[in-house]
Amino acid sequence: MITLLTVGIQSGILFFLGVVVVLIFFWIFWPKKGLIALFSKIKMNNQRVQLEDALKYLFDCEYNKNLCNMNSIAGNLNISDDSASQLIERLLVLGLVTMDDNTISLTDTGRSYSLRVIRVHRIWERYLADETSVAQADWHNEADRIEHFVTQEDTEKLAAQMGNPVFDPHGDPIPSIDGELPEPKGKLLSNLKKGVTGRIIHIEDEPRSIYEQLVVEGLYPGMQVYVTDVDKGKTTFIANGDECTLTPLFASQITVELLSGTVPLAPKYELLSSLAIGEKAEIAGISPNCRGQQRRRLMDLGVVAGSLVSAEMKSASGDPIGYRVMGATIGIRKTQADLIFVHKKNDTNE
Amino acid sequence: MNDTHLKERENILSEANKARWDLGIDLHDTVIESIYEDASRIARKAVKQKGEKAAYALDLRIDKIVTSRWLGFPIMFLLLALVFWLTVTGANYPSGLLASFLIDYMHPILKGVAASIHMPWWLDGVLIDGAYLAMAWVIAVMLPPMAIFFPLFTLLEDLGYLPRVAFNMDSLFRKAGAHGKQALTMSMGFGCNAAGVIAARVIDSPRERLIAIITNNFSLCNGRWPTQILIASIFIGGLVPAQLASVVSAGAVVGIAVLGIFFSLVVSWGLSKSVLRGEASAFSLELPPYRPPRIWQTLYTSLIDRTIIVLWRAVIFAVPAGIVIWLVANVHIGELSLAEYFIQWSNPFAFVFGLNGVILLAYIIAIPANEIVIPTILMLTVLITGANGVGAGTGVIFELNSVGDTANILHAGGWTLLTGLNLMLFSLLHNPCSTTIYTIFKETRSVKWTVVSTFLPIVLGFMVCFFTTQIWYLFFV
Amino acid sequence: MSNSNNCDNCPVHNKENLIKLGLNMEQVDYVITMAGNPNTGKSTVFNNLTGLHQHTGNWPGKTVSRAEGGFIYNEKRYKVVDLPGTYSLLSTSTDEEVARNFILFGQPDVTVIVVDATRLERNLNLALQILEITDRAVLCLNLMDEAKRNNIEIDERALSKELGIPVIPASARRKEGMKELLAAIEEVAAGKYVCKPHKIKSRSIKLNNAISSLASKLAEQFPNLPNLNWVALRLLEGDNSIIEAVQSGELGSINAGDSTVQL
Repeated sequence: MITLLTVGIQSGILFFLGVVVVLIFFWIFWPKKGLIALFSKIKMNNQRVQLEDALKYLFDCEYNKNLCNMNSIAGNLNISDDSASQLIERLLVLGLVTMDDNTISLTDTGRSYSLRVIRVHRIWERYLADETSVAQADWHNEADRIEHFVTQEDTEKLAAQMGNPVFDPHGDPIPSIDGELPEPKGKLLSNLKKGVTGRIIHIEDEPRSIYEQLVVEGLYPGMQVYVTDVDKGKTTFIANGDECTLTPLFASQITVELLSGTVPLAPKYELLSSLAIGEKAEIAGISPNCRGQQRRRLMDLGVVAGSLVSAEMKSASGDPIGYRVMGATIGIRKTQADLIFVHKKNDTNE
Repeated sequence: MNDTHLKERENILSEANKARWDLGIDLHDTVIESIYEDASRIARKAVKQKGEKAAYALDLRIDKIVTSRWLGFPIMFLLLALVFWLTVTGANYPSGLLASFLIDYMHPILKGVAASIHMPWWLDGVLIDGAYLAMAWVIAVMLPPMAIFFPLFTLLEDLGYLPRVAFNMDSLFRKAGAHGKQALTMSMGFGCNAAGVIAARVIDSPRERLIAIITNNFSLCNGRWPTQILIASIFIGGLVPAQLASVVSAGAVVGIAVLGIFFSLVVSWGLSKSVLRGEASAFSLELPPYRPPRIWQTLYTSLIDRTIIVLWRAVIFAVPAGIVIWLVANVHIGELSLAEYFIQWSNPFAFVFGLNGVILLAYIIAIPANEIVIPTILMLTVLITGANGVGAGTGVIFELNSVGDTANILHAGGWTLLTGLNLMLFSLLHNPCSTTIYTIFKETRSVKWTVVSTFLPIVLGFMVCFFTTQIWYLFFV
Repeated sequence: MSNSNNCDNCPVHNKENLIKLGLNMEQVDYVITMAGNPNTGKSTVFNNLTGLHQHTGNWPGKTVSRAEGGFIYNEKRYKVVDLPGTYSLLSTSTDEEVARNFILFGQPDVTVIVVDATRLERNLNLALQILEITDRAVLCLNLMDEAKRNNIEIDERALSKELGIPVIPASARRKEGMKELLAAIEEVAAGKYVCKPHKIKSRSIKLNNAISSLASKLAEQFPNLPNLNWVALRLLEGDNSIIEAVQSGELGSINAGDSTVQL
């Protein structure tokens, strides 16, 4: 028989043990900082990763017609000069690169290797963007991690399932299986002259700090821009009715496709979420930040440029709001309505 | 087909690929837009709106009421409460009728037939006391409430009201990383978790659908309500004066159900922030026009689609369970039956969680259907306490008409208020029944998510029972 | 009439492909399929036609359920395949692919497109997509009673002229319009009504050029293919089942009477 006292002590000990078990459990499984996450971080820092990253970088230089040497590799991969020279030594031995003076360039084998890695990287970026809810800022890093250990077959299966995408979410072309890649298109925004109209086709995602600021400015691929002034290297342009001035450093991150002829300036749009109950509008488009299934679903429901929409009713808790589109009422959350562009209509008849 | 053909076909594909780079990233959008452009041109030619949209104006007026800030939620709670009340009161009588027919009437007849043809005692036990009784029990307890609940629910669905519930509730579920339609699958889960899991099909976003499936088990299903009510009236109702007992025990059961909703939301949030963080998420909710429901079609399809299918699966799983129940009570190794071995062996472990070996064993062998947990517990308690004069024989599950008699058996088995409380918690938080597990697998096609949905609630259950027990010991002993 | 292969002159197209898609083609003169948006009363029309005696089966390897049924009209036996309700046929979701592949590879004798008369514009999105794939279709303008309640008037003849297929107003819940629908199905199936389906006109010049350039290449490889432009567009959209069908040459088996091509 156990006395009451020992029951008390025993349960105290057990209680403590229980807390410890729960804590250990969380320590192991906690995302990003837990034990499991830690192990996977250590695992990926191996030689092959470095090698593939170097090849990717070399191809990038070649594609953009820049020259590349040991220092720039060391800088790009964030490794010491010593490690960089070892790395280049390995690349030379493997026959993936050649070295002329100080300039390093890819051999054919090296080029096709790097195209393979780039294909995998961009397909995965596209997958993360369209088919998962991984945050936009994490696509690139996540794909950087994945690209080194997935198999070619798995990636191809993924691509087929997604409808064989040919662009990554930043607007970059994905190399074909045979290693084909189109010539770079468009001009850098920093090189445009006054009075030119164009459409943004690419926003470079590295370095991340600049990319994030451009995203905050509300710039995205597909947006129409009209250059109003170029002064001391600074470019001033109108995008969605707002004037925006960028320094050359920032403007050179943006690639623009020129629109020929006189293109009418697209009028400024507002967000669907700004409609009050009873207000009507014409849909101007869906933001590219609304992707994948979500985008398809909205288009299925009739949310396409040109269709009329009216805000009809609030739910009992205020969000979502019921909008009438093409004869049907659909509930749209505020976060989605923020991604739908409209032109408000003032007249009351349809 | 020869090689040149193959080559040319590959050329076509490669040309298509190059053209795609040229056509740009928003090709799909422009393709859809061009179709809509044609559609709207055709519609403009063919469709004329004459005068007011009378029916839509009526719809909108109804919508303004059922989604209004003040009336929206009260109307919803009243309607759902009405559905549950109709189910509970309406099912009582047919359930009793089925039970008295299948168990009190048919069971002795079958025993008599078995005796008259000199069936060996063990075969008679396995087939009639085991398999048949478990099946009869499941049918009697399960069929009537489901046959009332599902058609009522389907009527609300056909009418067009349920999408409005999802519309109103979405804000709460969005904060938990889930979809407003989960309010519907949850409500459906109060009838039957397997049906709730199937109902999650209406959620077309992968992540939210998985969340709805995994957390459906936190809705206290029809098979668990009787357990809750019985234990609450014995242990919680017993704490207060007799005239308050029914109110207090009802309150305790509702408290457990609310706790279930709380867990459902918290776990949804946790899942959406951790393991399901990366799964795709998309929200869409169409609010269809109200349509007068077609009563007979609804009855027919909801009986066929939901009730019969779920019942059939439950029966299939209940039969082997009945056999196992009978066997563990009757197969002896040395002095003790398998059940007694297990109970004695697991008691120390179970006590840590404020439960006992009987409860653990009952929950293991009653995985096929929560309905037979209480009968199994009673049978096992009688078995180990050796009480005489109650029950129907070793390995024969039974239930008593009087709550007092049941309480006596349980008290004899060493149950305390703590045991009762923990049983209520454990009944809320344990693995789904095998029908539900199987349904989860069929719906998700994934072993991983089936395993998660099975073990997540039971781990939670042990954790909650453990802390309840230990805190209890710290403060009350 | 005793054997299953009795039909010398019955115009079931593409029997091999239909069998491959999991259909039991014994004792069938025509195969019709039903497509439409969710919530348009498609299954009510289906049940009206087949008299609720359908047995439901699953697509092989798919979780999406497909209902199958049959009826006899003017001494011809019809098999009806109810496709999953979808908003579109252009996405990569499973049920859309199922519906798309059935209409493309199965080449049913008639595709009945069920649309909601109160939301015609949105429903036409799917209808126009279907007309890009198949030449034999009937539009069932369902929920006409709802439309009347909403004071919506639809000019069926103008609609039929625009779409190039028969348009039958119906209220399936009240069993109205079913006779007319059956008659229209028969006319199209028997070739008495020749459809001139609407093709999308609003595409950009650049896209149209890309389509016609690909289509002419496809024509060399698959001379019998009836819907070249659509296949070309699907290739430009990267549709994997079409890409595979081109790769394997399976696309060549889509046409009436050519039974020599297997897989």
